[in-house]
Amino acid sequence: MKSVLKSAFAALVVTAVALPAWAGDPIRKITILSRPQAGQQAEFQSVQLIAQEWRKLGLDVEVRAIPWEQMSDVVWYKRNEWDSTAWQMVGRPERSDPDELVFNLFHSSTAENGYNFAGYINKDYDATAEAQRGEIDPAKRKALVYKAQEILSKDQPYMMLVHPKSTFAFDKTVWKPESVVNQSGIGIRNTWTFLGIEPAGAKKDLIINSSDNIKAINPLYISGGVDSWITELVWDRLLRVGPDGLPKPWAAESFTWKDATTVDVKLKSGMKWHDGKPVTPEDVKFSFEAAVGGEAPMYKPFGTNIDTITINGDVITFKLKKPAASFVTSSLAKINLIPKHVWEPILKDLAAKPETAESYQEQMPIGSGPFKFVSWAKNESVTLAANKDHFNAPKVDRWILRIVPNAEAALGMLRSGETNFMGEWTGDPQVLLDAAKKDGDLEVVSTVDMGFRYIAFNERRPPFNDPAFRRALSEAVDRQLIVKAAYKSFAVGSNSIVSPALEFWHDKSVVDSFKTGQAVAAKTLKDAGYTLEGGKLHYPGDKKETVAVK
Amino acid sequence: MSNFKAVGSRLLQLAFVLWAVVTILFLMFRLMPGNPMAAYIDPTFTLEQQQQLMAQFGLDKPLWQQYLIYLGNLLQGELGQSFRYRAPVGERIFELLPNTLILTFSSLIVAYAFGILAGAYLAWRRGSWVEQAAIPMVLTTRAMPEFWLGMVLLAIFSFSLGWFPAGGTRNPGAEYSGLLDLYTSRDFLAHLALPAATLAIYSQGLPLLLMRSNMLDVMKEDFVTMARIKGLSNWTVVVRHAARNALLPVMTSFAIAVGYQLQGNVVVESVFSWPGLGRELVNAVAASDYPLAQGAFLMIALVVIFMNLLADLLYAFLDPRISHA
Repeated sequence: MKSVLKSAFAALVVTAVALPAWAGDPIRKITILSRPQAGQQAEFQSVQLIAQEWRKLGLDVEVRAIPWEQMSDVVWYKRNEWDSTAWQMVGRPERSDPDELVFNLFHSSTAENGYNFAGYINKDYDATAEAQRGEIDPAKRKALVYKAQEILSKDQPYMMLVHPKSTFAFDKTVWKPESVVNQSGIGIRNTWTFLGIEPAGAKKDLIINSSDNIKAINPLYISGGVDSWITELVWDRLLRVGPDGLPKPWAAESFTWKDATTVDVKLKSGMKWHDGKPVTPEDVKFSFEAAVGGEAPMYKPFGTNIDTITINGDVITFKLKKPAASFVTSSLAKINLIPKHVWEPILKDLAAKPETAESYQEQMPIGSGPFKFVSWAKNESVTLAANKDHFNAPKVDRWILRIVPNAEAALGMLRSGETNFMGEWTGDPQVLLDAAKKDGDLEVVSTVDMGFRYIAFNERRPPFNDPAFRRALSEAVDRQLIVKAAYKSFAVGSNSIVSPALEFWHDKSVVDSFKTGQAVAAKTLKDAGYTLEGGKLHYPGDKKETVAVK
Repeated sequence: MSNFKAVGSRLLQLAFVLWAVVTILFLMFRLMPGNPMAAYIDPTFTLEQQQQLMAQFGLDKPLWQQYLIYLGNLLQGELGQSFRYRAPVGERIFELLPNTLILTFSSLIVAYAFGILAGAYLAWRRGSWVEQAAIPMVLTTRAMPEFWLGMVLLAIFSFSLGWFPAGGTRNPGAEYSGLLDLYTSRDFLAHLALPAATLAIYSQGLPLLLMRSNMLDVMKEDFVTMARIKGLSNWTVVVRHAARNALLPVMTSFAIAVGYQLQGNVVVESVFSWPGLGRELVNAVAASDYPLAQGAFLMIALVVIFMNLLADLLYAFLDPRISHA
């Protein structure tokens, strides 16, 4: 017993002598959260590869796979209790304007309880994010968005991994391939395709699948991704995000910036609600007031910047509180136009109740959009019919959504003709390509998404508060490895939150100039004063470990 | 009179069981890790929105208050509002329950009718080559996972042969004026065929084996020997004397199977895109939609409890020896 103690003491002395005086504590075991392999294979595999590369730097890394519900609970509500986590942002038309991501993800004001759950604080970045928000000159704004991307690349608050490719398919014997629109950053399953797709033969019903249930068909409730396919078709908006990612007039004849805080919108004439009543500027004003009035909490953030709305003939003038370049995309192209005669009494009634308009499901939803609501069989299907009186009348007769939770069945249905457009494919894209080759009738289209996958570092907890440390972790992983091994090449490597799909805003240089490799990472760590002792990475200087390992 | 009393005490027991179920459900979902707010996390999700949602869902109140409100609402037949759908839970459940019940009962009735007949037949033909070939087959169907069997049936009868549609309850775009209209349509029956067959093939093993072993026991009884001595035909002996007596435990297993199947449907509902309660239940649990998950579980518990009660009463009716008199 005594000799054991003695040798242990001797070992301690030797270690103490061997350590240079300026080495800090060894870095504790760090954890990385991921969703489980079963549902999120690519994410789980990426995280395994990343952990493997980090271990080569001398770190002790633990991968914790937990379901999304628990993972988001920790990351979002226990902001001091995690080290790093896999996360994703999905592409949406309104995210074609970079403001939502540039501002909400990294501005210090959202660090406490908003989306800046990583806790990234940088005054220089805050100023840049605010400046681009207020700049309505596109060229000047572009320079600011570039600057934001450069700061992020330098600081690496996130370790960007990939922009996945979204893969969809359709039956080319039913639909003319040239009439299918590929929206940049979104793919071929988009509103423009639904509006423009042309039948090649006698079949005129577009039958599309999704695996998620529809939660609501409600113009005042952002209830889910698939739900929004429907709301975008039943209700019009003043503007729509075009296939190129830029806003274009829709229910508006035109829009003009009068000055940095004033937008004039001229309403198209002759539009009608599905019940036959005309669409008036009063309806437009009502729609925006309803969105911010408290009964539509999810739409509220998109309208809070509006100071006043005035009507002059068929011109609607929006006066803003603060200059906001993204207003046309994130508000005018986002808020649904709803009929005042339908919703005014409903909202009045709801005002006295605890529920909001989100719990109000119209039996027969009324919009003015290119499709009219027909029926909804819960958890099974939704049927819409073409609105032949619309200024952009669709060429299909009906648009039918089928809920198919089983991916194999979704493919089988597409091949057997029970569906003719694959709106969602949760399986391996290669399987879809192989099936299409065998079938001959199917066309598969893969598009680089504007969404992205990344690892967020918790900047509240050392060593992740050190940009050099984050940078080294990020440099340690070759993105091509992730693209090929985890995403089977259905993705492109990333170092910017602005996807290359958004050509106008994407700063290519931050991606090209970012070098990866173990040697690069090791050098970054060494330059920042981190040391390797017996294969374990230590803090620089005399820094102590302050976080207890759980 | 005493029968009446027995039923009364059974009902009291039921009430207690229900209260226990309700309480366990309430606590279970709230103690589970996860947070109903997780579904709303989005870059535009503000603190104000979070607080408004918490208040709207009643999650800002202490647990005991939530429990009392929940119990109070239940007594008034109010199941609360689904977090995800923002719609009344009762409405949602009653829209999906018929689909689940029709799938469950149609498959179980086929499975039990077949199982009982085949079980009795195999007992009668004990030791023959028929029995030797059939028993391993039955055991194989028992061992096949439902989802696998479902996928195989889909691949063969839907995707390869094209005889049956692959999912849902109706052809895309088909409109029906009501449930009865839908359920009696050819369209619906074609859609029901594969999922019901999957469940039936999976479920027939239990009644078959149960029936067979009961029959073997009963056939050894004195009254069967007596019947044979009397010179009654084989058919009369097997059907009128042995089978009727062997049927009792099978009836109980039917009642229990209904409850069991309601949960087991989840897999088949997913494979065949069947809009039933099972799929909804899984989604609700995953999304921490407490009211919906509680409501759906409660509904299943109710069906199970009711079926057990029915089995008890049926037992007394079928076999006077078990009567409480």
